[in-house]
Amino acid sequence: MNLRWRVTAAAFVLFLAAGAAQYGLATWLGSATTFSRDAVTALSFGVEALGFLVAGFLLSFLGRGYRPLANAIASLAFGIVTFFVLRQLKPPSFSYDRFFASTGELLVWSLCAALGSWLLAMWGASLGMLIGAAGHLDGRFQYEWGIARTHLRLNRRTATVILLFVLIPPGVILLLAQIAADFDKMRRAGGHLTVRLALMLGAIVVVGLALAGRALLARSALARLQPGQRRKRPATVVMTGISIAGVAVGVWALTVVLSVMSGFEADLKHKILGTNSHALLLKFSNDFSEWKTVLPKVEAVPGVAGVSPFILNEVILSHGQTVTGAELKGIDPATAGAVSELPRQVIAGELGWITSPQSIPSSVVEPHGDAAKQLEGPEYEQYLQDTLKRRQEHPEEKGKMDPEAVKNLPGVCIGKEMSHQLRAWVGDIVNVLTPLGEMTPTGPVPRSRPFRVACILYSGMYEYDSKFVYIGIPEAQRFFKMGDNIVGLELKFNDVDAARALGRRVVTMLGGFPYRTKDWAELNRNLFSALKLEKLAMAIILTFIVLVACFNILSTLIMLVLEKTKEISILKSMGARDASVMKIFVVEGLTIGAIGTGMGLLMGLATCSFIEKFGLQLDPDVYYISNLPVNVDGAQFAMVAAISLCLSYLATLYPATKASRLSPVDGLREE
Amino acid sequence: MPALIEARAVHKSYWLGEKEIHVLRGASFALNAGEMASLVGPSGVGKSTFLHVIGTLDPPTRGEVLFDGLDAFCMGEEQLAQFRNTSIGFVFQFHYLLPEFTALQNAAMPGLIHRMTREKAEAQAREMLEIVGLSHRLDHKPGELSGGEQQRVALARALVLGPRLLLADEPTGNLDEATGEGIHQLLVELNQRLGIAAIVVTHNPRLAERMPRRLRLTDGLVVEAQ
Ligand SMILES: Nc1ncnc2c1ncn2[C@@H]1O[C@H](COP(=O)(O)OP(=O)(O)OP(=O)(O)O)[C@@H](O)[C@H]1O
Ligand SMILES: [Mg+2]
Repeated sequence: MNLRWRVTAAAFVLFLAAGAAQYGLATWLGSATTFSRDAVTALSFGVEALGFLVAGFLLSFLGRGYRPLANAIASLAFGIVTFFVLRQLKPPSFSYDRFFASTGELLVWSLCAALGSWLLAMWGASLGMLIGAAGHLDGRFQYEWGIARTHLRLNRRTATVILLFVLIPPGVILLLAQIAADFDKMRRAGGHLTVRLALMLGAIVVVGLALAGRALLARSALARLQPGQRRKRPATVVMTGISIAGVAVGVWALTVVLSVMSGFEADLKHKILGTNSHALLLKFSNDFSEWKTVLPKVEAVPGVAGVSPFILNEVILSHGQTVTGAELKGIDPATAGAVSELPRQVIAGELGWITSPQSIPSSVVEPHGDAAKQLEGPEYEQYLQDTLKRRQEHPEEKGKMDPEAVKNLPGVCIGKEMSHQLRAWVGDIVNVLTPLGEMTPTGPVPRSRPFRVACILYSGMYEYDSKFVYIGIPEAQRFFKMGDNIVGLELKFNDVDAARALGRRVVTMLGGFPYRTKDWAELNRNLFSALKLEKLAMAIILTFIVLVACFNILSTLIMLVLEKTKEISILKSMGARDASVMKIFVVEGLTIGAIGTGMGLLMGLATCSFIEKFGLQLDPDVYYISNLPVNVDGAQFAMVAAISLCLSYLATLYPATKASRLSPVDGLREE
Repeated sequence: MPALIEARAVHKSYWLGEKEIHVLRGASFALNAGEMASLVGPSGVGKSTFLHVIGTLDPPTRGEVLFDGLDAFCMGEEQLAQFRNTSIGFVFQFHYLLPEFTALQNAAMPGLIHRMTREKAEAQAREMLEIVGLSHRLDHKPGELSGGEQQRVALARALVLGPRLLLADEPTGNLDEATGEGIHQLLVELNQRLGIAAIVVTHNPRLAERMPRRLRLTDGLVVEAQ
């Protein structure tokens, strides 16, 4: 058996092992841990990719080279095996039309497996080649780095210049952010120039003038030089600069956009979890009257932080001439705070008044609380002014009802948007109408009851603020004629992200069927999966910028290889190994990539802090958010850096391999 | 005992489009350890090509090159590199120094390639530069050295790891009479002091005459010149 077939066979076995590891890990993680499905997928495929990489690395030693053909044959065989295994396993389809994946889909997956294994194996092989797979291992690269440095013209002076370039733009952005924030504060404080702001502005003027003067001096000194004395800059140095800038711009865009999208996601999550609990405990039946015995059991489950009962039904609300549909939620105001942020969303009145309506004052109630402080702007002020005025002028239906009866009407809490729509404020009487009325000889008649507005809530989510109304549990039970029944229990956990697994734990503790839980991610699946898809699409599109920048690195390195053929020949005639020559160019490309990445990350960080401090305005009616949110996530930044460095590394492979294969005499002929 | 280096019926031809240019047509010769020879021949006859082939930089089209009786081109890439690094010293026709590095760094480069520490490589390079008489120009870059000085740096670089064979391609080519004489003198001295075998290509018949052994390349063959 010759070497090629040995390599092919070994590659095939290693690829199979990696594929099996993926399957095994996915199955095991899915059953034995509380990881989310995305995490399981990412982890298992990550392990598989690593397996391919290591396989390629090992094979480069066995085959003493890249062995693209042998690997390709093995990958093809692996793809075919994958296809048949997948057909046996019947994985679920990505499409909504069918349950199991179709043959076409399986074919695409197998092709991906084959291609992925080949590319990753080649990647691994390149690492093997780099440390000298053709002979004994040698991971050192001191003199290679020295030579790479001369190619990049990296000495103390240029390093200082680069450092300035890396630090100055983010510094300027940060400074601008600080100034903007201070300026804002100053404007609000009534137009007094703060000392800090004055100092910063002064510093900027001084530094700017100094830099401008310095540049002018340098220019005039350059002009006085003879043409021959001017330093000639080879094209490759300019190209190196452009490559660095390209990578920096790509990384910058990627980090900023991803941070903003994470900000949106975090904000959405925050708002959803402000109004909703982490999970709902429901029953596969209409009878949940034993909830009073279930509640303490659930509370005792480790990981559960709060439990509260709820009732949910659709109703119609009317006030005067205005009518709107709503979701009526019966809650227990005493425990609602343990599962959601409702008590902290109150902008006027009290949540507790829904069960003690006698406390609702008949005078005008002014807004208060932290949630009210978030609301700002002319629109809100106008609304408040109008509402309070109206409330003052028309103290609720005076004379129509007996004031004592009004006092005894049950309380209801409505959202800010609904209050706006219905023109109802705390103390106003609204009618709640349910279509599930009594049966009469003439057919079903809707049932309606008057409620008094006990509080106004502001969650920041337009949907919630315009749709949800809250009343007390006993009132809801009476209204819907449910007896002592409820719809379910709201749960809050210590760890939001383990909601699904903890929900399963609760159900298990209760003995399983007929109980079931639905966690917040499941309840808002559409929203979050849309957001995730958007983020992924964004990341892919922006990665293309980095990719293009890496093509810059590629062409720069090709130019450098052409420029340095003579040098490569000399080095080889002095005994430099192929791997060493390869190292020179790989190190070079990685240096370009690393400088660009560092620059981009710092710029991204500075821009995020700028957005945070400066607070870019958004139209709150469209986004339900007044400022552009950002969420600086270290893991995300690390991920971007890793992507950028990996792409830079890949960009170096072609030129570096080319350079390493030059023969020593190639460069010795030219003058 | 086999010769240090032996060429057996070495052919080398280049293809220029359809046309094959035969440069070496079965050149054979042998050189013993410590022996010194000059190689002369008209321009374009293939002297540089011959040096590249026996210096393992360029494989012959046909024929063998033996070191200590072993075929050099049967070695793998890594062994070959190792061999070039430690056993052969090259001085090229046009002094090929690395322009970005100082004389000292240039001369230390083979040591660094051999993965010596920087200190050790530079110490050896300094020693060698002293032998070729350049201890006062250590920190000059090639652009700041004269042609003769550059050639001496190239010589120091070729000899820094103590090779057994020195291949010098017209080391005195673009130098004036006196400087060329000096370099030649240096070569002879080094050969006697360190026992390095050497092949020196030259166009200067007077210098060629003074070598213990004189070779001539004609019609792609190596012949002993009398
Ligand atoms: N890569 C090549 N392709 C085609 N022809 C080549 C190549 N290299 C060398 N030759 C030819 O081979 C012949 C020998 O070249 P070589 O450089 O060995 O001559 P030389 O004897 O060293 O000459 P000089 O004394 O001028 O240095 C020349 O005619 C040259 O044109
Ligand atoms: Mg020549």
